[in-house]
Amino acid sequence: MLLDASFAGAWPTGLDPATNTTGGANLTQMSAIYGGLFRLVADDDGSNAKVVPHQAESYEFADGGRTLRIKIKPGIKFTDGTPFDAAAVAFNFERDMKSTCTCRPQWPLAEGGISTEGNDTVVLKFTRPNGAAVNSMVVSNVNWIASPTALKTMGEDKFKITPVGAGPFKVVSNKLSSELVLERNPDYFVPGRPYLDKLIVKSVGDDQPAYQALLAGQGDAYEGMTTTPLIEQAQANPRLVVTQQPATSPYLIQLNTKIPPFNNKLAREAIYYATNVEAIKKGLFKDWYPVSQTFTAPGGLFHHPTVPGYRTYDLEKAKQIVQQLGGLTVDLGTLSAYVADQVNTALKTQWEQAGIKVTIHSEQLNGLIQNFNSGKWQAMLQTAGAWDPAAGVGVGFRFHSGVPFSGVADPKLDSLLDQAAAEIDPAKRDQLYQQAGKLISDEAYGPFILAFAPANVVVKGVHGPGLTTKIPPVVVNTGIIWDEVWKSNP
Amino acid sequence: MLGSPSLRLVGKRLLMAVPIVLGVSILTFWVLNLIPGNAAQQLLGPEASPDQIQQLEEEMGLNRPQVVRYLDWLGGAVHGDLGTSLVSRQPVTDELGPRLAVSGEVVGLAFLISLGLAIPVSLLAARWPNRMLDRISMVVSTTGLSVANYVFALLLVLLFAVQLAWFPAIGYTPLSESVTGNLRSLALPAIAIAFPLFCFYTRFLRSDLVDQMQGEDYIMTARAKGIGPWQVLLRHAFRNSAFGLITIVGLNLSTLIGATVIIEQIFALPGIGQMLLQAINTRDFIVVQACVIVFAIITVLANLLADLLYAVLDPRIRYGSN
Amino acid sequence: MAVTEAPASSVLAVDETAPAPARKWLRSLAIGLPAGLLVLIFGACFVLPLVAPIPKPTGGDVLSSSLPPFSPGHLLGTDPNGNDIFSRILYGGRSSLIVAISVNLLGLALGGSLGALSAHFGGAVDTIIMRVLDVFIAFPSLVLTLAVAQSLGPSQRNTIFALAFFSIPAFARISRAATLRLREQPFMVAAKLSGTSTWRILVRHIAPNIGPQLMTFAMLGMGIIMIIEGALSFLGLGIPPPAPSWGNMIAQGQLSLSATPLLVVWPSLALFLTVIGFNQLGEALRARWSGR
Repeated sequence: MLLDASFAGAWPTGLDPATNTTGGANLTQMSAIYGGLFRLVADDDGSNAKVVPHQAESYEFADGGRTLRIKIKPGIKFTDGTPFDAAAVAFNFERDMKSTCTCRPQWPLAEGGISTEGNDTVVLKFTRPNGAAVNSMVVSNVNWIASPTALKTMGEDKFKITPVGAGPFKVVSNKLSSELVLERNPDYFVPGRPYLDKLIVKSVGDDQPAYQALLAGQGDAYEGMTTTPLIEQAQANPRLVVTQQPATSPYLIQLNTKIPPFNNKLAREAIYYATNVEAIKKGLFKDWYPVSQTFTAPGGLFHHPTVPGYRTYDLEKAKQIVQQLGGLTVDLGTLSAYVADQVNTALKTQWEQAGIKVTIHSEQLNGLIQNFNSGKWQAMLQTAGAWDPAAGVGVGFRFHSGVPFSGVADPKLDSLLDQAAAEIDPAKRDQLYQQAGKLISDEAYGPFILAFAPANVVVKGVHGPGLTTKIPPVVVNTGIIWDEVWKSNP
Repeated sequence: MLGSPSLRLVGKRLLMAVPIVLGVSILTFWVLNLIPGNAAQQLLGPEASPDQIQQLEEEMGLNRPQVVRYLDWLGGAVHGDLGTSLVSRQPVTDELGPRLAVSGEVVGLAFLISLGLAIPVSLLAARWPNRMLDRISMVVSTTGLSVANYVFALLLVLLFAVQLAWFPAIGYTPLSESVTGNLRSLALPAIAIAFPLFCFYTRFLRSDLVDQMQGEDYIMTARAKGIGPWQVLLRHAFRNSAFGLITIVGLNLSTLIGATVIIEQIFALPGIGQMLLQAINTRDFIVVQACVIVFAIITVLANLLADLLYAVLDPRIRYGSN
Repeated sequence: MAVTEAPASSVLAVDETAPAPARKWLRSLAIGLPAGLLVLIFGACFVLPLVAPIPKPTGGDVLSSSLPPFSPGHLLGTDPNGNDIFSRILYGGRSSLIVAISVNLLGLALGGSLGALSAHFGGAVDTIIMRVLDVFIAFPSLVLTLAVAQSLGPSQRNTIFALAFFSIPAFARISRAATLRLREQPFMVAAKLSGTSTWRILVRHIAPNIGPQLMTFAMLGMGIIMIIEGALSFLGLGIPPPAPSWGNMIAQGQLSLSATPLLVVWPSLALFLTVIGFNQLGEALRARWSGR
């Protein structure tokens, strides 16, 4: 059985976990080739999502969260026949830590913090408690274990083209950012898996060509559709199945509280009151995505739909504040993308109704980076949050004072976020994140819009967890569990 | 019939091409350095810290002065080594070959289609000027020249791929995999490129033929001798018009490069246009540089070839340069 | 970039022969029709929004997004942001036309004088100017435009600058060829012999004589530039939305082409009509100047 899958991304730097720099966007390729020490699973409707050991057998925290022991499943072999053991995992961890990818783990490693115990256990030692370590594993490159022997024989430059792992599939051929052909790994450690004999991953420029390709029978599955009119059209098409993934990262308007106008809390409040989230939800997205008032979303951990005292749309109040301020001029930017551009255009209209003067601009990556580095930006439409707020591009990326992409410097918030990331007990974490959300809302640090998640579209007859069932996306897209994807004969 | 004057002409023109290509390479390097952002930023994405970016910049050698990087590149380029991609770390020349083949195939098909249609249509139109076929061909070609090629491509996609599903909407099937699949995957892009060309050639050829049939003395003479109209048209008028057509085809080749960038983007073809655009987006300037040089060489050679053919076919020019 | 971006020489090589014996009224119709069409288009884009109650092209209500054509108050419906499409076509035409006119004026002025100077002085000056232009012509104009557009950032003014690089070499070539032909004319020889200053010769003798030819080329160039402006938007540069231009409207619409084909159809149609107007007017003018 062959499956053609496509997605609107690229893997320009190859598929070696330690040298790949587009990690978060390449979940499909990575999990197909390497399998993963851990994976995120959920019930079919996306609820009860949790990180479970996969190539790992089990894990345990010790030392109040300062030590993490990961036990490896016995008997796994890389597709080159070499053993998948603690030494191999430690070798990968060491290598991955030197990566320049943003998917490199943010471990507060102690000196010599990566070691092995016996043949099957890797030990990580941290300088401070790190309760989110396992949850953040699924969004970082350390989850993908490459064969050290194959790497040594091939050399880095060749390995990144035809990498060797212990996942459900083996690489047949790989044209960077274009086409990756995979075949079934007959020695995969889960008996009877994968179901597919062959998996081809293609990069497609945009949602529109991908949609056409699915209809023309050129592909079976497409991950990460974001263009609303096309999602609607795909839904109406009886030959396609659309699965809207549970949202985990809400869009928010980051406000730079370090410079005018948003160093003034009143100006920030005006933005809260002038933003009509319900209208955006209805008009732009036809009620597809849930509104969020904090950095969590229904698909993620620690979510609460409302924050007490959150300032919702109130045009009169907004006008009043703008008048009180003697006018307000705002420069609102975003990283160019279909959804973000649409939202910004709508925000401009709404804010102007409150008497705010708004210019919007949609940046290319370098422009965005320059803006942040210069510190002169005023407002940015961004996504914040992740399935686990402490993992990936989590809440810290937008609100922690120590990050270049944050507009907030509040020691109280920093401490809440730090404590929450370190804490092991979920109940305590929940409480801390609720406090953080309340603090952000009270101080009007940045209004949240709605929690957006891409949709996966398949041709009727294709089934699989994360493809036709819901699994919360860990970074951008959902981590599809490719070993359990199958195709019924039409 | 290639005499030594022609050879000398080739030599002279080739020599003139060297500074042009060199100039293009310098201009490219300079222009690329104007583009904000670099490959390191682009690869690491919006969440990278300044330290991470700096680390990668150093690994890529982006922190060296511009002149040093250019001379380094030029040193390799003279020996046919166009460098190593900043992003994939693979030799650029390895990737250029297959990509050029794809683009070449599309453009070749487009020429075949456009000339294969334009020549018979123009002949028929010129045989009976102002009759139905002539009028239709003039309206179609006039209209066609005013349609943006990307709009035309989108219309093709909408109609033949989305609505009728006769052709795949995107992608490329290699010739080695399936001949029909290959042709099917290239049909729409080739037509999208061919249609404006067809319009252009038809207008040119038809006007030129009609002009000759109505005005030129030797045509009158031939007709007076009682040679049939078809024969006059084919043997005399068309042979003469072919000169001009060849020049135009040669000149078109260079402008087609631009068309392939857009068309390859729309149809997701792994050609050199797509390679260029991807490289610009990832700021992989070594690859951009290579693509630009290849384009410049094609442009210069195409112009040279058109001039030469003209010189070989038209005796006046050859003697003139003597 | 578009195939229509044919080298100047070959554009001019296509000579329109009027199919029927050229009657006077037919010829004035050949100029009048496209000219009338263009007047209509200019009027619609520049005057209509001032006199008719047409909504603004941006700032529409998201709650009335994606309305079908002929919805009350929205002749062509609204886009996914709730903006009136008809209004966007009119205002978009404004910016597309302004870009095309500015670029052609820049090309005409800079390219035209460069070519004329080059031909007039001849020798080393000519060689240097022409070699530099050769480099620009051999350089894929798309890369140059992308580079300029990206380094300056997308805006209407920068789009104009970027596109001017397309037109300057082409204008220069035409102007040079036309000036070269002039050089042998008796009045030019006389002017030179009588010691008329270079400046005066350029202004009084060369400019008026090559003017019509350059103007004709500028007409054809209008269509080309409008199409390229769209191509630039297509690649994510050009005039940044939400401000409309026909190019960025087509580019935005094609992101959901199958679901919202009309978003592409309307601006394409407007672009097509305008380009055909300019092309036909250019052709007709050329026929008149070449005395056929």
